[in-house]
Amino acid sequence: MSSMQEGESASYAKIKSMTTLKDVLAVATSFEESARDFYTDLIPKVSKRFRWLVEELAQEEQGHYDLFTSLAARDDVEDAIQAEIERPVTDGKFADAVMTPDLGEQPDDQAVLQYAMGREHLAMTHYRSLADSTAPGPIKELFEYLANEEAKHKEELEKLYYETVHAGGV
Amino acid sequence: MSRIDPNDKGSILAPLKNLQFFGRKAVTESLDPRPASANYRGFHLNDWEACIGCSTCQKVCDNAAITMAEVPGLPEDPEKGVRNLRPAIDYGRCCWCALCVDLCPTGSISLSREYVHTCTDPELDSYFVLPDSSGIHGVAYDKGWAKHAESDMVALERTDMPELAPEARIGNFDEIVDGYDRNQGIIEASRCVQCGMCHDACPTHMNAPEYIRAIWQDDIEEAVRQIYRTNPFAHTCGRVCTHRCETACSVGHRGEPIAIRWLKRFAMDQLSHERVKQIAAEGRQSSPSGQRIAIIGAGPAGLTAAYDLAMQGHAVKVFEAMGAAGGMTRYGIPYYRLPADKLDNDVDVITSLGVEIQYDTRVGTDVTMEQLRDDYDAVLIAVGLWMGRSTRVRGADAEGVHRAVELLRKVADGESIPVPKRAVIIGGGNVAMDIARTLARLQKRKHGQVAITLTALEDIDHFLADPDEIREAREEGVEILDARGPQEVMLDGQGRATGLRTLKVLSIFDGQGRFAPKFDDADELVHDGDMVVEAIGQAADVNLLGEALTEELEWQRGRLRVDEQLRTSADWLWAAGDMVRGPDVVSAVADGHRAAASIHDHLMISEQAA
Amino acid sequence: MRPENYETQRQPPSHEYELNIGPNHPGIEGNYAFKLRLHGDEVIEGRADAGYLHRGFEKLMEGRLWIQNLAITPRICVPDPVPMEISYCLAVEDLCGLEVPERAKWLRVLQAELSRLAAHLFTFGGHAATTGMYTPMFWGMADRDLILDLFEELCGGRVYHIYNIPGGVRRDMPPGFIERVSNTIDYLESRLPDYDNLMFRNRVFVKRARGVGVISQQHALDWAVTGPNLRATGLAFDVRRDDPYLVYDQLDFDIVTEDAGDAWARALVRRKELFESIKIIRQVLAKLPEIEGPIRCPIPNPLAWNVPAGSTYVRMESSKGELAWYVVSNGGEKPYRTHVRGPSQMHAVQVLEKLSVGCRIEDVAQIMFSLDACPPEVDR
Repeated sequence: MSSMQEGESASYAKIKSMTTLKDVLAVATSFEESARDFYTDLIPKVSKRFRWLVEELAQEEQGHYDLFTSLAARDDVEDAIQAEIERPVTDGKFADAVMTPDLGEQPDDQAVLQYAMGREHLAMTHYRSLADSTAPGPIKELFEYLANEEAKHKEELEKLYYETVHAGGV
Repeated sequence: MSRIDPNDKGSILAPLKNLQFFGRKAVTESLDPRPASANYRGFHLNDWEACIGCSTCQKVCDNAAITMAEVPGLPEDPEKGVRNLRPAIDYGRCCWCALCVDLCPTGSISLSREYVHTCTDPELDSYFVLPDSSGIHGVAYDKGWAKHAESDMVALERTDMPELAPEARIGNFDEIVDGYDRNQGIIEASRCVQCGMCHDACPTHMNAPEYIRAIWQDDIEEAVRQIYRTNPFAHTCGRVCTHRCETACSVGHRGEPIAIRWLKRFAMDQLSHERVKQIAAEGRQSSPSGQRIAIIGAGPAGLTAAYDLAMQGHAVKVFEAMGAAGGMTRYGIPYYRLPADKLDNDVDVITSLGVEIQYDTRVGTDVTMEQLRDDYDAVLIAVGLWMGRSTRVRGADAEGVHRAVELLRKVADGESIPVPKRAVIIGGGNVAMDIARTLARLQKRKHGQVAITLTALEDIDHFLADPDEIREAREEGVEILDARGPQEVMLDGQGRATGLRTLKVLSIFDGQGRFAPKFDDADELVHDGDMVVEAIGQAADVNLLGEALTEELEWQRGRLRVDEQLRTSADWLWAAGDMVRGPDVVSAVADGHRAAASIHDHLMISEQAA
Repeated sequence: MRPENYETQRQPPSHEYELNIGPNHPGIEGNYAFKLRLHGDEVIEGRADAGYLHRGFEKLMEGRLWIQNLAITPRICVPDPVPMEISYCLAVEDLCGLEVPERAKWLRVLQAELSRLAAHLFTFGGHAATTGMYTPMFWGMADRDLILDLFEELCGGRVYHIYNIPGGVRRDMPPGFIERVSNTIDYLESRLPDYDNLMFRNRVFVKRARGVGVISQQHALDWAVTGPNLRATGLAFDVRRDDPYLVYDQLDFDIVTEDAGDAWARALVRRKELFESIKIIRQVLAKLPEIEGPIRCPIPNPLAWNVPAGSTYVRMESSKGELAWYVVSNGGEKPYRTHVRGPSQMHAVQVLEKLSVGCRIEDVAQIMFSLDACPPEVDR
């Protein structure tokens, strides 16, 4: 589990202090981490029929988490890590999503997909606005890359949602 | 002519007349090489892109000069009606009549304007040629005799199917399509070139060329016999099959495909039910095997398996939750497409073989899977897709919002359903068309007019419904709005549905045919309706398995994992039909055969081992 | 093969000897043997020996679809294939009740007369060659080739046209075809005086051909002689006029006759018929632009074509004589039986056997060619 628990009062303070790339990355890392853990916890709860979906989502989030941890080790990022960054408008929402919702005891595939899509959408918008508010350079490219990653993932989920819910079994 | 007198001895100087020939051009002079005439029937050219390997050229060839050669690497796609075969020509046999050109369904073959091919003894093989578009000697001669409207011998036009006019059908559930009469059936059957693309494309590989030919020969019994060799849902598939055979039909490449589905229906309708039953029972194993099989679900997959297993002498018991057999074909497909008595006939053929159907018995509650496992030698689950998905947009759980499958089931069961003054349907598949057209009929009866709006995410070119369904729905007054994404069900003060708010869909299908709808916020519409029907995806209700069994079985992306032989991960359980394959009657029939074969093999092996 | 060929060899008396003409011999348009018994250079007996060209057309056709037989029909008479195609089609059309469009009928007449021209030029030259004159043969073949060029344009094939199908023809004329046909027949007409001078005013040919192989009119009728061979005995009988088919009743042409009944008369009839065919073609060319409409009626899918049960007898006038098909269908997709009345059957067997008796050995080849027999019509 993430170090951040639902309802943890420290989250607001944390956002407020998030003005550097370091902080942005830290929140992003914990965002992906909490998602991974959320899906991982969900695996045994859902029916075995939908388990593949939750497993894939957990795996995907693990991939994102790995990306962020490896980012921290990059030289160019390290150089810029103290750079000041304008706080994007999505900031509040994004940080809220670090706290994961309750999908009920036995969520079905549609509920899980809807949640996952919303989450990816939020992440995408967040990185996009970070990229917009950053001067051209490696940091901007980094945010753009992250936004694209999330957008691609979101689009994959949307296709899956269409195929499962709208076109599945018609 | 000037007078000829044989007795005229002529002049002695007559030979001098011949001197004039010195001043004239010789009549027997050699010609320079030249291309042949524009219609010349020279050597074969074959456009490999257009050729589908249907082998019609081989069939019409008078001299058996054509051999179909497999060309590895060329596309091979039975569903599209493409084989990797291409005609090879033996010029030791060919007579250059060009019937292959005139009867080529695609028009890929032509003959070149080249006169000569000759060779020395060691090159005799050069008379056996696999022509492509480059010509026998790789020299670019133009096409000579080629496909031309004047000489085309392919019967491109389909025999019209008489059907009820929209105004005659809208107020009732009478069957729309009349079916062919004897003359029409024979004429339509005569268009077939017997290429067998239909057989390859059909999920259950029906002997369509054989039954079409039997129909053409006016031998209806033989046609029915051929139909029953691969499909006991003969009436049903003759009416509502998704007819992939017709998509693959080689005649359809330039013209209208043979009406294979209607021909099947024609054959079935021509023969008395009693005679059909006798033919269907031909070849039945007379001695009982002593093995008992339970089948869950009396739909096309379950009953096809039951038919096969009963034919092999096994005792089959089918557990059906509903009060009648047929599954989705009865409770999903409206009567105007498939009349109940025709489906009853199909079911009766199967039960007449001794298949027992226990109705109104829901496995999972009335009897458990574990009991079936213990009481029977094998269990087949084929429960179909009975759960209608919801969009879960805001208001989707309000009063007045319905699922199409549930409404259709009620209508089929004779229950009354609320008939709205205006209805909005969400979905662009066949189920959406079914409920729209069913509601239209009920509206016409109750309110005297049709007021139905159908909205679908897909643009009209990507609708999942058959084009015929779309056309007929429009004829019946259903307003179809494509590329509209449902956003919210509008509610009145009491929380009842009053309409649907949609946005324009902007995105398109990608190269793999996948689709992620994106909406244009600026293009918003509210469709009024006191009923909103969700006719989107469907899912299998597999709660009957129980938690323990669900956990025990292997799953594959939401569906029971089955192998090629439709075995689940439990050695006593098979699964077939829509629940593992997706919705399609004829695929369910194919599954039924495959499951039955696998169960039969399994039982025979167990018996030998015992 | 004729049964007598299998009999024990009869040894001829010492003053007689046997001579085989053929099976490869320029005296006939194909592989055909004629066995002579001679005394000195006088023929005592001639025995036709067919079978060297036997491909079993009639039997073969029973095993093939109605449409597939189109490729066989022209092969039954190579020099004059068109009447074979047309008459087979007429037979199938009759059984099926197909209504052939007007334009197709005129196109068929055009072909049939072009084919007659080509065939007569061929025979004509061949006949001269048997008297030792090769120039008419070269000229005949060269001029015939001009007609084959036209066939190539119209049908896509020079010799085996396979242009007719039951219901009509396969393609309409290419652009400018009428003009080219017109030019060619004008040229051919201009050549006729050359032929006259070369053959009919040639003393060698006159001396060789006159009085040889004489058929009286009564014999001709008794022996079922038809075509130019019959007309050379003075009887004006021509199926085109006496039992008109296609559109021959709308055409103006003369029936050519000669009275002598000998090789000379037969050659002369053919020579005069060249001009009659040219006349007919001119009328057809004038008429064709007026006739619009399809070139064939709708026909069933050739792979699923049952011809209604029944039988029919269809005759027409080929360059060799009265050509007829007797076709029987049992309602199936293949003929139950087909029979060709090839006119050459009578000319090459019974007539030739009779005419050769008593003539000199050097005239046998000429008699053969003057009868214009086509061996595949015998070996069908």
